[in-house]
Amino acid sequence: MKKLLLTLMALVLLLSSLALPMSAEAVTEIQFWTWRPEDTNFYEKVIAQFEEANPTIKVTINAIKNTEYNTILSAALAGDSAPDVFMSRAYGGLQTFADSGYMLALDDLMPELKEFSEATRMGATSITDGKIYGVPAVSQTMLCFYNKKVYEELGLEVPKTWDQFIANLQACKDAGYDALANGTKEGWCCEFLFGGAGASQYSGNDFYNKVVAGETTFEDPIFVSAVNDMLSLTPFMPNMYEGVAYTDMQASFINEMSAHFVGGSYEAGYFKAENPELDFDIFPVPGKTEADPAYVSVYADMNFAIAASSKKQDAALAFVKFLATPEFGAQVVNELAMVSSIPGVDVSANPFIAKVLELQKNNTPYLFLVGFRYNQPTGSSLFQAAAQGMMAKQLTAEEVCKQVQEGIATYYVPFQK
Amino acid sequence: MRSKHMKKAAWIAFFVTPGLLVVFVFILMPLFMSMFNSLFGWNQLIRLDFSGLDNFRKLFGSYPYQERFTNALGNNVKWFVMTMVLQNLAGLLFGYVLSKRIAGSQVYRRIFFIPVLFSIVAVGFLWGLYLRPNGMVNALLGAAGLEQYQSAWLGNASTATYAIILVNIWRWLGFPSLVFMTAIDNVPAECTEAAYLDGANEWQLFTKVVFPLIIPSVTIITVLTIIGSLNVFEQVYTMAGLDGAPNYATDTIGTLFYRTAFGSVDSGAPEIGVGSAISVVIYLMTFAISLLSIGITRSKEVEL
Amino acid sequence: MTTDMRFRFASGPKKAFIVLMQVAMVSYILLILYPLFNMIMSSFKSTRDIMRFPFSLPDAFSFDNYLTVWVDKGFGLYFLNSFLYTAVSMAFVVLLGSMAAYGVSRYVFKASTLLYMLFLSGIMLPLKAAVIPLFQIVKGLGIMDNPLSVIMVFIAMGIPSTVFILSGFMKTIPLALEHAAKIDGCSDLRIYSQIVMPICMPAVALVSIYNAVPIWNEFFFPLVFLQNDKFKTLPVGLSSFIGQHSTKWDLLFTGLCIAIIPMLILYLFMSKYFIKGMTAGAVK
Repeated sequence: MKKLLLTLMALVLLLSSLALPMSAEAVTEIQFWTWRPEDTNFYEKVIAQFEEANPTIKVTINAIKNTEYNTILSAALAGDSAPDVFMSRAYGGLQTFADSGYMLALDDLMPELKEFSEATRMGATSITDGKIYGVPAVSQTMLCFYNKKVYEELGLEVPKTWDQFIANLQACKDAGYDALANGTKEGWCCEFLFGGAGASQYSGNDFYNKVVAGETTFEDPIFVSAVNDMLSLTPFMPNMYEGVAYTDMQASFINEMSAHFVGGSYEAGYFKAENPELDFDIFPVPGKTEADPAYVSVYADMNFAIAASSKKQDAALAFVKFLATPEFGAQVVNELAMVSSIPGVDVSANPFIAKVLELQKNNTPYLFLVGFRYNQPTGSSLFQAAAQGMMAKQLTAEEVCKQVQEGIATYYVPFQK
Repeated sequence: MRSKHMKKAAWIAFFVTPGLLVVFVFILMPLFMSMFNSLFGWNQLIRLDFSGLDNFRKLFGSYPYQERFTNALGNNVKWFVMTMVLQNLAGLLFGYVLSKRIAGSQVYRRIFFIPVLFSIVAVGFLWGLYLRPNGMVNALLGAAGLEQYQSAWLGNASTATYAIILVNIWRWLGFPSLVFMTAIDNVPAECTEAAYLDGANEWQLFTKVVFPLIIPSVTIITVLTIIGSLNVFEQVYTMAGLDGAPNYATDTIGTLFYRTAFGSVDSGAPEIGVGSAISVVIYLMTFAISLLSIGITRSKEVEL
Repeated sequence: MTTDMRFRFASGPKKAFIVLMQVAMVSYILLILYPLFNMIMSSFKSTRDIMRFPFSLPDAFSFDNYLTVWVDKGFGLYFLNSFLYTAVSMAFVVLLGSMAAYGVSRYVFKASTLLYMLFLSGIMLPLKAAVIPLFQIVKGLGIMDNPLSVIMVFIAMGIPSTVFILSGFMKTIPLALEHAAKIDGCSDLRIYSQIVMPICMPAVALVSIYNAVPIWNEFFFPLVFLQNDKFKTLPVGLSSFIGQHSTKWDLLFTGLCIAIIPMLILYLFMSKYFIKGMTAGAVK
């Protein structure tokens, strides 16, 4: 017994000795954190390019599971053990760390950020002090994917009005497909279903600008009717759609069991990778008449930020500047199939992204994520829960809107007049 | 006499201190520090001034915390009741027949514990697959002609929590089975033989002789179930996410606490003050109820 | 004796009881073996096939996934790390936990209930909740990004339930045994190690499995405290297969199969301690 204990202690000591820091070298090491383990290979390639151009800097990447990322980053920032460069969420997610003083303001350090578009900058700017705290990386667009083979087979055309959209769905259903792959088991799936299908129905920017200023509420009839329109999609969703999870939705579309998938532009990379033979394309879900603009909900997604407590700010800045170059942006487009926020990126090599950019001409902010995720209860959480209830036929659209309105009004000043 | 006292104290210290030290530094201190946070106001992750019981008032008085908390607590009660009744009673029965060498017990006792060995993540994934609308559970129901019972299980507000509880019971049933089996094995044969010779039948043997002698293991299982039901988090997190989907039907005070204190990817910013207040409430409730049940069962213990 | 479960000699109602129990237990066995079988079969499939045909047998039994996971993804190293951390932690959990259980249950003193509840407090809140203060403590102790941090946290996580379960078992040991040993001149330490612990072997085995599994499968704390790749554990490796918008189900299932093997072996090893014979002689 004693011998066992001694051996174990020796092992423990041996292990800890492995952790002794290396002797100081001329190379500066910086830590880079991301919440996308699926993109590690891509970032390692990019890091290799950066290290070649900057031999005195070494970047170590640490990919943390998306759902634990915020918690672990908070602990590291609060515990003064922060990574030098980290991926930061946009809007409300950024606000948390910016207000707590954990992020470095980049206004003066990176004048090139002024070239970025207003919309992308909004995701990296603090609403408290107006400074920009990160380099916007990508923007995501909510639209409708469709299976081209099915459309050819059934002689369908890209719909220009809501009724045509419904008719297409009906035709697919009659032919035996799941017309729409979407399910509602996970709350955020309801939110992006609405972001994709509802934006045109509530007239995009007209409503958004008014509601953010407090000139109208979520109980405005046009919004209620948009929510009702989402409810009207349920006959076209898979059997027992309340139990269909996000992975199931993706699998259904990838395996050509369903004809449409309303979701984010970021799906394209995964679809292509899982089923290279899948022939898909996109269209914006249209409004009621052909004259109405077909809106797509857009939001800025990631920012590359520098920790205020980083001891290697110069190296971190060099890396972040690299992540703001059009060359990096082009790689994001071509390898990750995401829309880069960097201005001046050449998208000619990727027709899918070029098309998304086309659709973005009629962009409206992704309602709850952009405008109402700064306090608890966030607009997103209220809408997700209520929408799930509605899709399960437990609530009406009016009740959903009422719940969302009342919840947000508890803290949103323009609603409290 | 004095030195005997001191010697005893020294022995107690010797045995207890190392463990207590580790638990104190790595668990109790962080937990108390985080509960202490509930007495302050917060701006995002930065602590502001002392605010007394403000956060508690917010928790019990304001929307949405109040209704979320009551809803979540209700679910925890469902967890406790179902687990006590289904899991622990079945565990007791299984433990009894296994102890009495029912046919096949050698095989059963080895296999029953296997679900405990799966990681929670594996359990969540596998059962998530089986409970899908086109998954195995619905397929079996269809094959057995019971289509009317087919449902979206995890997506259906009325069945979601129960489905998750049942999965958790599936996972843990082997544990009380083995604990009770071991405990019943340890009942000295003389006691049961004496009672048998006095003319007791099996039911009386069990209730009057065996059960009183295994009360310590009943305490263990009961208290672990109470603590487990109030603390349940991982299983719900894996199968239904942090927000208690669908529409808060699967929410528990554990998930409510975690997403309030840390925010969640979808539902946003952390509210550390209120979150810590929730943790204080959870801790106090768990402590009080455990103490109570230990007190009750201790009074029923029979010394050998 | 009436309490045996032999079917042939049982009375009518007893027969029904036995049948009911057998049906219940066999159903449970099937419900256990099927997911295990399913998990193993899925590890041989591609992600698409797992989603499309989750219940069918794989097309081919290629070990490509296993090679990818073990070699390319570095799971060989993670496995070793997991094994080391779990073994070291468990040794101390059993040692410190049983000592504390002995101290709290075999001595009668005023503070015993308080101490007992203090230990139990360790499992009354998920430790995940206190990650920020814990992070600061670990940093303060200088063991950040060091396996020691994770090992200490694991030991701390395992002790409360060990104290709780073992003190329950230790209470059932008659004090007469201890008195006899004391008369023979045994020190308290010897009583603990040579009398009480051997009797508690079934409980120790139970407690070992009960704690080894969560420690082995724990992914959160290694994710928080170990950033250097050479220290990472198996579950952390598994979490890297779960992306924000896509999951590598094939590699995930393969990893899960690899992960469950040591636990199965440990359990089969421990299960011989659950046998009656070991304790029967002790009372005498």
